[in-house]
Amino acid sequence: MPDSGYPWPIETSRLDNGLRVVVSEDRTAPAVAVNLWYDVGSRHEPAGQTGFAHLFEHLMFEGSVNVAKTEHMKLIQGSGGSLNATTNPDRTNYFETVPAEHLELALWLEADRMGGLVPALTQETLDNQRDVVKNERRQRYENVPYGDAWLRLLPLLYPPGHPYHHATIGSMADLNAADLATFQAFHQTYYAPNNAVLTVVGDATASDVFALADKYFGALPARDDIPSAPDGRSVPVTGQTAVESVSADVPAPRVYIAHRSYPFGTPGYNVITVLATILGSGRGSRLYQRLADGERIAQPDLVGAYGVDLAHAPAPLIATATARPGVSAERLAEGLAEVVDELATVPVTAAELDRAKALLSTGWWRQLSTVDGRADLLGRYATQFGDPARIADQLPGLLAVTAEQIAEAAAEVLATDRVILTYLPEETS
Amino acid sequence: MTLIADRPGPGAARPYRFPPVVRRAVAGGQVVAAHLPGQNLAVALLLLDVGAGQEPVGKEGLSGVLAKALEEGTAQRDAAAYALAVEGLGTALMTGLDWDSFQASVVIPVDRLSAAVELLAEAVRTPKLDPADVRRVRDDEATALRMDWANPGPRADAALRADLFGAENRWGRPMHGDPDSVAGLDVEDVTVFHSEWFLRPGTLIVAGDLDRIDLDALAAAAFAGTGGGPAQRGGPLDVPLHTGRRIILVDRPGSVQSTLRLGHPSPHRAHPDHVPMTLAGTVLGGAFTSRLNHLLREVHGYTYGIRGDFASSRRFGRFAVSSGVQTAVTAPALVEAVGEITRTQAAGVTEDELEVARSWRAGQLSVELQSPRAIASALTTLVVHDLPDDYHARLRESLLAADVDQVSAAAATHLHPEALTLVIEGDAAVIRDDLTAAALGDLITNP
Repeated sequence: MPDSGYPWPIETSRLDNGLRVVVSEDRTAPAVAVNLWYDVGSRHEPAGQTGFAHLFEHLMFEGSVNVAKTEHMKLIQGSGGSLNATTNPDRTNYFETVPAEHLELALWLEADRMGGLVPALTQETLDNQRDVVKNERRQRYENVPYGDAWLRLLPLLYPPGHPYHHATIGSMADLNAADLATFQAFHQTYYAPNNAVLTVVGDATASDVFALADKYFGALPARDDIPSAPDGRSVPVTGQTAVESVSADVPAPRVYIAHRSYPFGTPGYNVITVLATILGSGRGSRLYQRLADGERIAQPDLVGAYGVDLAHAPAPLIATATARPGVSAERLAEGLAEVVDELATVPVTAAELDRAKALLSTGWWRQLSTVDGRADLLGRYATQFGDPARIADQLPGLLAVTAEQIAEAAAEVLATDRVILTYLPEETS
Repeated sequence: MTLIADRPGPGAARPYRFPPVVRRAVAGGQVVAAHLPGQNLAVALLLLDVGAGQEPVGKEGLSGVLAKALEEGTAQRDAAAYALAVEGLGTALMTGLDWDSFQASVVIPVDRLSAAVELLAEAVRTPKLDPADVRRVRDDEATALRMDWANPGPRADAALRADLFGAENRWGRPMHGDPDSVAGLDVEDVTVFHSEWFLRPGTLIVAGDLDRIDLDALAAAAFAGTGGGPAQRGGPLDVPLHTGRRIILVDRPGSVQSTLRLGHPSPHRAHPDHVPMTLAGTVLGGAFTSRLNHLLREVHGYTYGIRGDFASSRRFGRFAVSSGVQTAVTAPALVEAVGEITRTQAAGVTEDELEVARSWRAGQLSVELQSPRAIASALTTLVVHDLPDDYHARLRESLLAADVDQVSAAAATHLHPEALTLVIEGDAAVIRDDLTAAALGDLITNP
């Protein structure tokens, strides 16, 4: 196995307008991934405008100065590519993977919507995509059992006014109130070359990419007064456990236990990543062995623990379990809390640590096995930490975590405010 | 102007080359491998010639229970020790089932592949299948299906499948079974199914750097203790079309969306129209730019997305459209969807649309050459459908060569808007009158 977590070349450049360009050449397949990270997410949204960053992401596919409505998708798919975009609290990313001969087309399309979206934006497009997003909210959060857990956990973990207090999908009321001028201003404020990172990975040489980036993005003006999101790094400790119980149309009781941990990218978050794997990943994890296999109070496929990799505030650490038939929510909650709390009192064994590191190691190489996986990670490290080469430190950082660090992190994180969210089937509540 | 107005054309295309395929008969089984030089990750996949289609009627979900039971201890170690051995290598046993085959696989750094394949074979060939464990796994699987069936979708899928293929046939029932079929299985069902099907050698598929992999040693581990020949596969089934459209309403009180499943039977995988049919499906519903998605999402805002395609297995196929639409627009959304299927069947596709569809399908073959997982999946297609080593290169050529006449003819022949079954899972009290008024077909309420 390679010593570095990233055994491919990384070359970087910065255009005069501040656009950072990252290239990682790999000739294995005749494909190239193009990825843009814009340093704007739902953490930038003021009260009354929740869901706007994500709704805006939809508008970016609806045409720009030289690209007609619906043409963006048609051109990428018509070149054999696949494409998408996502918005989270931290950032918005846009990406496509195309056969290598269509690299220039992808760059032209991205430049056109970075520099020329506003003149093409119409009320009709906004109204249509608002309906699409409201259907997305229904489909993903409202119409599925437990679908709103994330929407409920965030305000319990982060106080009002904190940039992570509200969920990225936003509220129906705010989406209904969205007006065109707000979105025009949103683009002008945040979609500037000096607020973005362009990453290209795959069948292309760095010098070609740098020249093409300059050709298509080079004349776009920088913006020098991009407002920053509210600072969320320090969250006041309440000393309270926040408990929320929801009666809903769900098939079985489910419990979530959540804490604020450390921001993604810190050594502390690496420790949390290993800890969460020991706690809740796989059949050898503590939650599986204790609750699914041992006491048999939890459904085996539905125990888990994970960190949510947010970088601008202490990130959530979440553990969850769902009751086997006949097991009460109280019994399940007790069992889950017991296993979580033991992270601070029962030392992690060498076998547990080795298992977690082996799983994380394979997971890392799987993430890097595609050019789009690599491009998104390079964009992340360039955007959030100013240096894409930091990607190489991620795996060694995880592999260096010790049992002592896990015990310390567990003691510290579990001693802070706890959130307990419980779902109860309607008929038994 | 700061933007460049002229859209750039493509550069010189790199040649499409599927990795070299190695086929070998070893230790009574077949090995099919692809060489990926320099690749740090490898995939090994044991493909067994038994799919959901071989499960007896009334025993749906048997393979799923068996798959889970494989990891509940083996002849050599108990469940916890097995989990630690596999996960200690940094991998997990992945299992999968379709109508034609069962697969168990591992993805792992190449230097640990042989240890992982030994553990894979240990679980598949020599599971303990202790009766108490099998009963517990069965109960857990029934519970897991009950959880899944609480989501919108599975009930609608089952209603469509039963109406298309007949619930008296195995292929007219859910591929993974339902909560009741799984709850009704007994230990002997599982142990007999294992000894009948899981001790035949099957095919070992490997994607990775073959310079660092000993295929013969992997095969010896994968095929140890096996015997018996391949199964009788049976020929393509003749599935009749309905005369007249019918509507099946599956009640989901309080639902804020209606889940739509529209479909009819279509040809099996080896049908000569496979490529033009795939392209017709792509134009109609197979990509973001498709007619259905454009109309229902981008023009009307009825949905977050709608998809339609032809899918096929060795013995049968189906055309299906799926979506979730806001409850209030259920009837107009159905009218638009049926209208678009009808137009496509009657008038075919345009060159402009087909150009996007064929380039997309062909280009995806290049994009999918990246990861060992994708290559292993491509090799699996070769084995399940008896296709030659150069199949993907040939497929690419036939996609690019398909013309408007061929694809329009496939749409005319294989789309049957008048024989569609329309399944709607939603709030019946709210939508029933609108559905009746839309007069799209006879309304049947799901039993």
